[in-house]
Amino acid sequence: MKVLLVDDEKKFAMMLAKRLALRGIDVDYVYTGEDAIFKTKENMYDVAILDVKMPGIGGIELKRKLHKLAPDMKIIFLTGHGSETDFETGSAEAEYYLQKPLQIEELIKILHEVAD
Amino acid sequence: MNSTVKTQNNDLAFFGKVNASISHELKNIMAIISETAGLLNDLTEMATEGKKIEIEILKTCSNDIIEEIQRGFVTIKQMNTFSHSVDDPFKEVNLIEVLNLMIAISGFLSYACKVRFDHPEEDELRVLTSPIRLQNLIYQALIFSFKSAGLGGEIQVFIHPEKKGSVRITFSGLESLNAETFPVDKTKQIAGSIGTEILVNQDSQRIEILLPKAIEIMR
Repeated sequence: MKVLLVDDEKKFAMMLAKRLALRGIDVDYVYTGEDAIFKTKENMYDVAILDVKMPGIGGIELKRKLHKLAPDMKIIFLTGHGSETDFETGSAEAEYYLQKPLQIEELIKILHEVAD
Repeated sequence: MNSTVKTQNNDLAFFGKVNASISHELKNIMAIISETAGLLNDLTEMATEGKKIEIEILKTCSNDIIEEIQRGFVTIKQMNTFSHSVDDPFKEVNLIEVLNLMIAISGFLSYACKVRFDHPEEDELRVLTSPIRLQNLIYQALIFSFKSAGLGGEIQVFIHPEKKGSVRITFSGLESLNAETFPVDKTKQIAGSIGTEILVNQDSQRIEILLPKAIEIMR
């Protein structure tokens, strides 16, 4: 399974990517929507994990752009927000919607679910 | 709804919005600490299984946790200062501190720009005003400035005491400033409630807030 992780919180993205890699997940990570588009043009990803709120291209807009490039790629949204409105927006837009902080084993389970 | 109630509702909405933004920032900090501690846990398990672990990665993880905890303390202090701004409806405040606080808090927004803040050499510039409304006004001006400067832009904020018992706060570097979109009615209402004037100059790409050093308090 090949995963693209996009989060403007650099340390978070780096740490989560390392933890996923230790669990056998092939993961690339970038900090902006623009870099995510570039990566998606160059690689075939099964799943993208997108932060909802990012400078420039936010997660929801990025999902639409990535789907034009890779229609079969599944999307998991991540957010630090926890309001009901955020949750409803995310649920309507993505296959899965997770709040930070994450439980890594839950994320792994979801990654396998969406990839299957 | 009369104007006093509208202004009070604006105060409450602003207070809620800023607290939500701070909680988001704290959640991001906790998420980094959580992932870094999780990675340390993963590495500990690997070491228990006899796998070799590089000492450098352990150092990086522990340093990152310390840095994020410090960032959390700073954010909590900012939250505390902001929360106390509603203690008194009118109070003498240090404008330099208020601007520093609002620049820091608005920096949590995903579209925030870099801000260069220049102020007179003295550390204090005291004004008697409504702290929450002054903060709201500055916050709205910063949000508008970020949107006008665009992603990756830099804005300059400077304050200049005027002769006629007022202080001028200038926000410049607003490259795509649209004078028709600022101030909105709500912002005008907040400004009016603290005797403040907002000037928008499309040509010089700047906005100015003219704030009295002491407002007449309605009793």
